[in-house]
Amino acid sequence: MILETRGLSNYFGRICTADNLDLTIEEGVLTSIIGPNGAGKSTLINLLTGYLPVQSGKIFFRGKEITRLPVHKRVRQGICRSFQIVNVFPGLSAARNVMIPILALTGRSWSPFAKISSERDAHREGEEILARVGLSAERDTLASALSHGDQRLLEVGVALAARPTLLFLDEPTAGMNPVERSRLLEDIRRLSREGRTTFVVVEHDMDVVFSLSERIIVLHRGVVIGDGPPEEIKNDKTVKEVYLGDEVIDIFRYEGGDETG
Amino acid sequence: MKNKPLSAALVLVSLVVLLAIPLLTGRFTVYLAMRVMLLGIFAVGYNLLLGQTGLLSFGHGAFYAAGAYGMGFFWLHVSPHPLLGIAAGILAAAFLALLIGFFCVRHTEIYFAMLTLAFGMMVFSLIWNARGITGGDDGLVGIMRDPISFFGLGKIPIGKDAQFYYLVLFFFLLSVWVVHRIRVSPFGLVLAGIRENARRTEFAGVSVRRYRLAVFVLSGAFAGLAGSLEAMLESNARPFMAHWTHSGDPILVSLLGGLHTLTGPLVGSLIFVAMREIVQRFTENWMLWFGIVLLIIILGFRGGVVGVVQDLFHRSGLAREG
Amino acid sequence: MFIWLVASGLTLIFGVLGVLNFAHGSFYMLGAYFCFTVLRHLGANFWIGLLLGPLFVCAVGYVVERFFLRRVYHLALPYQLLLTFAFVLIFDNLVKIVWGAGSLSPPRLDIFGEAVPIMGRKFPAYNLFIIAVGPLVALGLGLMIDKTWWGRIIRAASSDREMASALGVRVPVLFTSVFVFGCWLGAIGGGLAAPYVGIMTPGMGETIIIEAFIVAVIGGLGSLKGAFLGALIIGVLSAFGTRYFPAFDMFLIFILMAAVLLWRPQGLFGEAR
Repeated sequence: MILETRGLSNYFGRICTADNLDLTIEEGVLTSIIGPNGAGKSTLINLLTGYLPVQSGKIFFRGKEITRLPVHKRVRQGICRSFQIVNVFPGLSAARNVMIPILALTGRSWSPFAKISSERDAHREGEEILARVGLSAERDTLASALSHGDQRLLEVGVALAARPTLLFLDEPTAGMNPVERSRLLEDIRRLSREGRTTFVVVEHDMDVVFSLSERIIVLHRGVVIGDGPPEEIKNDKTVKEVYLGDEVIDIFRYEGGDETG
Repeated sequence: MKNKPLSAALVLVSLVVLLAIPLLTGRFTVYLAMRVMLLGIFAVGYNLLLGQTGLLSFGHGAFYAAGAYGMGFFWLHVSPHPLLGIAAGILAAAFLALLIGFFCVRHTEIYFAMLTLAFGMMVFSLIWNARGITGGDDGLVGIMRDPISFFGLGKIPIGKDAQFYYLVLFFFLLSVWVVHRIRVSPFGLVLAGIRENARRTEFAGVSVRRYRLAVFVLSGAFAGLAGSLEAMLESNARPFMAHWTHSGDPILVSLLGGLHTLTGPLVGSLIFVAMREIVQRFTENWMLWFGIVLLIIILGFRGGVVGVVQDLFHRSGLAREG
Repeated sequence: MFIWLVASGLTLIFGVLGVLNFAHGSFYMLGAYFCFTVLRHLGANFWIGLLLGPLFVCAVGYVVERFFLRRVYHLALPYQLLLTFAFVLIFDNLVKIVWGAGSLSPPRLDIFGEAVPIMGRKFPAYNLFIIAVGPLVALGLGLMIDKTWWGRIIRAASSDREMASALGVRVPVLFTSVFVFGCWLGAIGGGLAAPYVGIMTPGMGETIIIEAFIVAVIGGLGSLKGAFLGALIIGVLSAFGTRYFPAFDMFLIFILMAAVLLWRPQGLFGEAR
């Protein structure tokens, strides 16, 4: 168990986005978090990564409490995230984008008299990251000049460059065309198998969710209404109700021929 | 510029010109050149904060004044040794920057700008009002340039403008070199990251606040250096140095020359001082023209003068090799 | 009370446009100068001057917003501030060119008659007028913001520009109108202030902008209520300060501003941005 929450709650005014959540994330298990809009998925990520301050409850990472830890310290502990809206460094090249986390985490970033060009270790690691997300060719392209799909890849790359043991991907395939999407999914699947990082993916696209995950958590209005392997979730009555009630997502398409009742 | 031989040549030429000025031109030009360099030191250090890190401070005049008054007090009450005096000025400025910065860096953008403005003006009114200590609006007067002595082995006189010029030139070149090294360092890259996307930089494991404070103090130190040198040049320190309109100088000048470049603030300083001198002969309202130039730059040429030159360069194909 | 007028324009412009208008002091100054010109050269009386003068300033404000400010909304904050600062330079110097660099004395006002005795001391009637105008304008503004259709749009655009635009509000037109109205407020301030202060100089814009700025910040940028309260506080503090701590009066005000910014950055009534 790599991450645990106890009694995590969050309210925006009267709207409850997290209701006394007791969640655990298992190491090495590719987990997806799904739920209708407003279910609290992004809020959960924000809380877990430190972007939102916790109102009540506790969060534990590998047994240590991190509830009050600021964002950058959580990153150093090994928790990182990518963003739903592309959130990279637009005026810097792709290579420089991924080097920032690398330099920060290896402690090289406080040396004002070193030269970036001489940081061979960082360069090498940066090249590795770019290769892992398939952006080696775009090494010197400005982030703002990349295609949207490539920007999303860079988004994941920058998150990976922080050497996370636990990585939250917030709708990583949003806005991608099918080719880009399957490429990214393949990458995530491969990286997850490599075992260095535990991936937790928030997604709307059921294609992605069911083909990728080993475990699915279903959130609705801040409450977990489903938690288990894909086959189990597919057949869960509550989940079906919630989805049919709030969104017209036909999750039964994937079984080929089940009723939509 | 990506064209190494050309930029190296330009640097060499500039160096030769700078070295030759006292030998080939009259007193007034030497004086003007020093004013350009002082403004250049102020601006190039300030631009680490603005152009590199994206923080707009309206209070850096306070650090400039701290440098001037720090140097002045040191000279008047402790020792006339110029280098120690300059060090005192820099330390005073850096310390003040640490103090003020600590309160300001936890806020962003517009609140940061407003807080620095407020603190800067507080320093100004403190200096203005504490007549007994600081001399009020007369400022500290009578600061002389004693010769620099090296452990009794020899003395370098700096009393004459032409001699002092070389000291100023030394610090100018030193400042430019230091800022250059910072820009190409990992530290500088993180600063650029903060400018481009502070939130993301936080998620890269960086304590953004700490870096902001660091660059704030650094830029304050450069302001202090420029202030101490001006105190020696003009033989006095004035409260106006801390006024917000003076704090605006490095901003305007960096914008004019080009915010995202190393040479931008330097070119801007040159143009600013030159414009002031030339236009002032024709009209009292030279600031009007400066305002118009500023307007044009903001509306169309945000890369500043250096940006425009670089653009022309690339388009004319001269940057083909490199 | 003039600070209140200038501050209200400043805070309104910031609240809706998100721009800190450094040039607002210049509009105040232009207001005074235009009113003066109308009085002097058209031989009109005070009220007409007060009516026409600010209108000229509004025209200037319109040009500034429509053709210059509008182009930099999408840019980072420093550029917007510097644009308005450029206009400060331009206006200050234009005034020097057109009206001379020295100080001018606005014509004396006879319509208000002589001093009015209150509580055993004589107050110039004009001062009383000013004191009355302040709250009147505040009331008027408050009513306008709360009750009228335009006021409602302003409130909406202040809190959520994109949403307002999506709802069909023509944001560019709104911005221009708010900016021009803000200029009008500043200009009225200038027009009213000139006879009170007794002299006008090209530098009057610079002094008032800092005070108005502090007032707006303390009250909360974007909040008219706050600006009014801020002006009152500053007014009282100033009087207090000049009486007991004459040397440090400016210092106190800046400390207050810094304290407010540190403790509650959005000011007393502002909303967190």
